[in-house]
Amino acid sequence: MQSSLDNLKEGLKMLELIMLIPLLTGIIAMFLPVRLGRGILIVTALLHLQLTVFAWLGKITPALPQYFTVTNEGMLILLVTSFVFLFISIYAISYMSEAEISSEPIYNGCTLLFLATMSMVTMADHLIVLWIAIEATTLMSAPLIFLHRSKTALEATWKYVMICSVGIALALLGCFFVVLAMDLGGVHVPITFTSLGTVAQQLDPVWLKAGFIFLVIGYGTKMGLAPMHTWLPDAHSEAPSPASALLSGALLNCAFLGVYRGHQLMYQAGLGAFSSNILIGFGLFSMLIAAIFIFNQTGYKRMLAYSSIENMGIIAFGVGIGGLATYGAMLHLIHHSLIKSSLFLSSGNILLGYGSKLVNKTGNMAKLFPKTFTAFFAGFAGISGFPPFGIFISELLIIMGAFQQGRMISVSIFILALVLIFAGASRLVTKMCFSRCNDPEILVEENLARTLPSYALLLTSIVLCIWLPDSLYQTILSAIATIGGGVNG
Amino acid sequence: MIQLSNALVSVSHVGDVLLTMTVLSVLLSLGSNRLGALVKIMAFQGIVVSLIPFFLEHHGQMSTGSIILLQIMLLIKGLLIPGFMYAAVKKIKIKLEVEPIIGYNASLFAGLIFILLAAFITNRLQISLPVKNELLMIAAITTLAAGLFLIMSRHKALTQVIGYLMMENGIYLIGTALAKQTHTMYVVEFGVLLDLLVGIMIMGIIVHNINSSYDDVDTALLGQLKDN
Repeated sequence: MQSSLDNLKEGLKMLELIMLIPLLTGIIAMFLPVRLGRGILIVTALLHLQLTVFAWLGKITPALPQYFTVTNEGMLILLVTSFVFLFISIYAISYMSEAEISSEPIYNGCTLLFLATMSMVTMADHLIVLWIAIEATTLMSAPLIFLHRSKTALEATWKYVMICSVGIALALLGCFFVVLAMDLGGVHVPITFTSLGTVAQQLDPVWLKAGFIFLVIGYGTKMGLAPMHTWLPDAHSEAPSPASALLSGALLNCAFLGVYRGHQLMYQAGLGAFSSNILIGFGLFSMLIAAIFIFNQTGYKRMLAYSSIENMGIIAFGVGIGGLATYGAMLHLIHHSLIKSSLFLSSGNILLGYGSKLVNKTGNMAKLFPKTFTAFFAGFAGISGFPPFGIFISELLIIMGAFQQGRMISVSIFILALVLIFAGASRLVTKMCFSRCNDPEILVEENLARTLPSYALLLTSIVLCIWLPDSLYQTILSAIATIGGGVNG
Repeated sequence: MIQLSNALVSVSHVGDVLLTMTVLSVLLSLGSNRLGALVKIMAFQGIVVSLIPFFLEHHGQMSTGSIILLQIMLLIKGLLIPGFMYAAVKKIKIKLEVEPIIGYNASLFAGLIFILLAAFITNRLQISLPVKNELLMIAAITTLAAGLFLIMSRHKALTQVIGYLMMENGIYLIGTALAKQTHTMYVVEFGVLLDLLVGIMIMGIIVHNINSSYDDVDTALLGQLKDN
């Protein structure tokens, strides 16, 4: 009796349900007829969001605390993932019926399984469980990229699986190195980030550094950091738009969490300066690569993919800089997910409407697709850092943080890359929106079911920019406090 | 007592022989152009690599669990995966790797350079390693590097998968070289096994699809997606 009371006080031990429910429904949805599958998709998305909110409020705790835990940064990414997933699913129902994809049950099933693995990433505490979860996201998302079954989709899937598998294998090597650092330091604790954090000072610094480098290379491959990003533009452009939105808005964050955990451990071990410099280097390099490649882009989905690489670079840069910039990076993560998912959803409407992924085949969107145009153009303004969208604030905070730290050269490269990317992307976007369309034949009309989710995501970004709930603010603060970040410099 | 130490010496000798065979199989695979032969080499390498932990000194007292796990590993690496790949090779019409990105002689030479580099790296790292077994570390790094090299320098999807397998073998060897069994219980074995199974499964499906849509498994055919 006493113990059950204690349980109630601590909260129900069912955190794992957050990943088990989509796992179960995903497997079921695979074998159900399409209509039923769609219903299950929405219901699971709602249920997942509800459970996430419960976890957020501290009402549920893990049943297997040796493998899973509730961390601030994990919960933040889980909430973003769950929120974005709900709107993408609503959109997907309408999109899938228009796009006439024969294997829609596979989409319904795999997207739920994908959600399950991503939830697992956000809750994992054990080094190897985290690695397994990130590996599993590759497995579950590969069928999503191959959904169109075209030759180009095949190529994109092959590249995705091959490059990410190699990357993940290197991350495993990184895990071994961290374990070796434990052995050499004479530390005997479970291999979880929580318990490693308490003894971080005793770990062997040389092997810990080596481990961190491999973790960044491995998880950075998945996150889309240059020069390991080469799978990303192909996969994002070939996957059906809802899947692209999920990849960009949710998966990249989860991979980032792997890098973040590594950085946390380094900071606790007193090697924060080393890992910060690595993150800053990768971040700036990613932004520059994106700036170069976005300039001559011919496909709009590829353009958005390069923008994702840029934004992941910004987040890595912000986390690397530390202090105020870390807060900016976390805000950036939230707003990038919201805005970029919205953009990919709009790009799905454009693809349905014009029947081509090439910028040249589109045009005059302002007239032909006014609703999609509003969402797409607003999203573009948001992702470029215009107010009232949140990225304006997050980028400003990162730049201010970098100035505070006296990183003048880095911050000038940062600003240069931002300007170049804006110039490159705006050329394409204005062409799509305002130039004359040579062949104004509309294949599929836009409708509300496919534009409202985009609006909702953008609106959330605006609302969060004006009014940030206190619990969200506190969570971000406690998440970044573990790597020495804070709003007071 | 003397007998016991003699036995230990001979055990570590067997280990060294196995490690040498691993490195030789790596070189052989770098110089081979027939897919069937490559699969056979990989089966051989899989068996040898799975056996190595049996003959390492610091793995002297093994628990029943880890022995069972090693046997499973032997089955999967030596039999299951090569079996699958052999079946795949039989379906494919063109069984030669024609015109690799980097030629066979150059590849072999690269393999030799990997060995040198591995020896150099091992020499540098030696100070902080828990186990004094230089050959193990050299073989491991060579296998890892050669696997990555195969992935990058060959056109055929199957050869790339073989490169991936070889890389995993290298990682497994590094894992066994570095990790003491005390609190890393099965982490290495489990991780590598999972990685292998998942990777090979997914890659198998894609290779099958590439074969059915192009009548070949040449990834050079997959060149449509690029930035202008």
